[in-house]
Amino acid sequence: MRLPSLFRTTPFRLTLLFLALFAGAAAAFLLYIYAVTAGAVTQYADAGIVREMQALESVYANGGAAALKESMADRVASGRPFFYLLLDQSGRKIWGTIDHSPVGEFDERNTVWMHFDVASTGPGHVADHRLARGERQRLTGGEVLFVGADVTWAEAYFLKITSALWGAGALVIVLGLVGGVIVSRNVNRSIAGMTDVVTAVEDGDLAARVQLRGAKDEFDELAAGLNHMLDRLERSIESLRHAGDAIAHDLRSPLSRLRARLEVALLDVEAGKGDPKEALAQALEDTDGVLRTFAAVLAIARLQAAGSAPDQKAFDPGLLAADIAELYEPLCETRGLDFKAELSPGLSVRGNREFIAQALANVLDNAVKYTAPGGAVMLRVRRRSSGDVEFSVTDTGPGVPEEDRARVVDRFVRLENSRNQPGAGLGLSLVAAVLEAHAGRLELDEGPGVFDGKGPGLRAALVLPRAG
Amino acid sequence: MRILVIEDDLDAGAAMVRGLSEAGHDVRHVGDGEQGLEAARGGAFDVMVVDRMMPKMDGLTMVETLRRESDQTPVLFLSALGEIDDRVKGLKAGGDDYLVKPYALVELLARVEALARRRETGQVQTNLRVGDLEMDLIGRTVHREGKEIDLQPREFQLLEFLMRNAGQPVTRTMLLEKVWEYHFDPQTNVIDVHVSRLRSKVDKGFDKAMLQTVRGSGYRLDA
Repeated sequence: MRLPSLFRTTPFRLTLLFLALFAGAAAAFLLYIYAVTAGAVTQYADAGIVREMQALESVYANGGAAALKESMADRVASGRPFFYLLLDQSGRKIWGTIDHSPVGEFDERNTVWMHFDVASTGPGHVADHRLARGERQRLTGGEVLFVGADVTWAEAYFLKITSALWGAGALVIVLGLVGGVIVSRNVNRSIAGMTDVVTAVEDGDLAARVQLRGAKDEFDELAAGLNHMLDRLERSIESLRHAGDAIAHDLRSPLSRLRARLEVALLDVEAGKGDPKEALAQALEDTDGVLRTFAAVLAIARLQAAGSAPDQKAFDPGLLAADIAELYEPLCETRGLDFKAELSPGLSVRGNREFIAQALANVLDNAVKYTAPGGAVMLRVRRRSSGDVEFSVTDTGPGVPEEDRARVVDRFVRLENSRNQPGAGLGLSLVAAVLEAHAGRLELDEGPGVFDGKGPGLRAALVLPRAG
Repeated sequence: MRILVIEDDLDAGAAMVRGLSEAGHDVRHVGDGEQGLEAARGGAFDVMVVDRMMPKMDGLTMVETLRRESDQTPVLFLSALGEIDDRVKGLKAGGDDYLVKPYALVELLARVEALARRRETGQVQTNLRVGDLEMDLIGRTVHREGKEIDLQPREFQLLEFLMRNAGQPVTRTMLLEKVWEYHFDPQTNVIDVHVSRLRSKVDKGFDKAMLQTVRGSGYRLDA
């Protein structure tokens, strides 16, 4: 895998997208501010003009045009920020701070709001166009009074805001692009580790792991997940490899035995001593034994490799145990064993019924094989206070010494006193494998203890975790 | 009966042909799924023995094709895959029984004969009769020479299976699979004990022993 070039990286594209969104939002925001502020400023100016006009009108009503002229002069002198212009009936200027009415002469409307340019007429001043707003009133005597206000400051204010926003926008875009590049580089660096590991695994190095950066962010999380996945994969490949080795190892000895037996039989037959039919029958029996061992080893290996048993469904453990009890009860009776079953009804566990039945059968097989006539075998199903469900088989046989209990679960381990019994020593290994594949466990304990020269017995508990 | 064996392993096929022929059956052997399909379409066979994994057309596909063409000839699948889901897949594809390789010839023979017999008695039966043994499948009662024999439910099922396969050997594995529906191999003789219990009820007090032990394979119920 090659890293994509900067402009094709997802973070950079996302940055561009966000920039575009941000710019759009900022433009809309600016427009809104402008509209609102402009409205407010105009209203403020207009309200001042209206008040000024009302004051002048009342001066005119009391003292006529002459008083008005005097009042306007006073107002200009006191520095009020207004423009004044008084025209007579024919439109000639009587007095004013501006020369022309910005309103057309033939406009007959009484009040006119408008923007207009003011040419400042101060001495030594070059004509200076300013933005203003004003109101024209036709007075009762036929004169026309115009009052205006300079709003250039407001316009300048808007201009400043606008250019500030433009500048900010440009800055944001530049910073955004730089940020995008940095983020992309960063993300690329974070991903590069994972990409390297994926490449390494592709090339067959299952031990490759991503170095966590300790940032505890989502990249670290992803990397940890990847590492975890690789751990699991490595383990299961390892266990498959191990299973293959184990099967080869486990089958080598019975096959060697079979071969030796056939060789001896052939020699005997050649020497005219042995019976070929008997030798063949024996070989066939040995082969069946090898095949049984093979099936058991394979089943254990598959369960261990799969990690969890297939086709798990909820079922009633009491019913399953009752079924198995029914299968084994006559056998116990024939062997002179007292068989009892104590099965709690209405429990539920999740698992592969077939595998669990087989595990239970294996444990019962053991109990029957190792318990002398006159003994007892007890099958029990109950729920523990922890919620786990246990199947237990208790017998009054010789039991397993405490120091050997962990060992008997290993494959092909047969204790000294069981050597004369049939079996390959795989029964409990399969039970343990079945339980492991159900997230359960096999517990071996002492049975009811020594009495009448029997015991102490073995209690094998198949513990399955609580359903759900 | 006529048996079609479809098996790409020629040695295994030849062994099957030999074993089944010696038991008095008319056996034809072909080596792949396509030939198998052709042979199955052409001739009326009583049972087909089909290897699951074959070149050209695998056993599952072949049997599915036949079943779509409403060919209901009983099929015994042979497979080196012994996992439960493989078994289920085989039965879903239209197989009637499933035998995991390697198998004993007696096991194969017993199963093939059981399949053929099942076909003969395909219609719903209300009672079974073998010699002087009579089973009422509705009333769940068994009589021998007119005397009622009291059986536990499982013993009844066991006897029913033996009666349906009367005259043919049935193996312990078949009994465990068909009567108890377990697919494992017990290390103890649990099945023998059940059969001997049944035998004591069916044969005790009568002149003729009907339930026979067949050395090396299992049991047989004789008329």
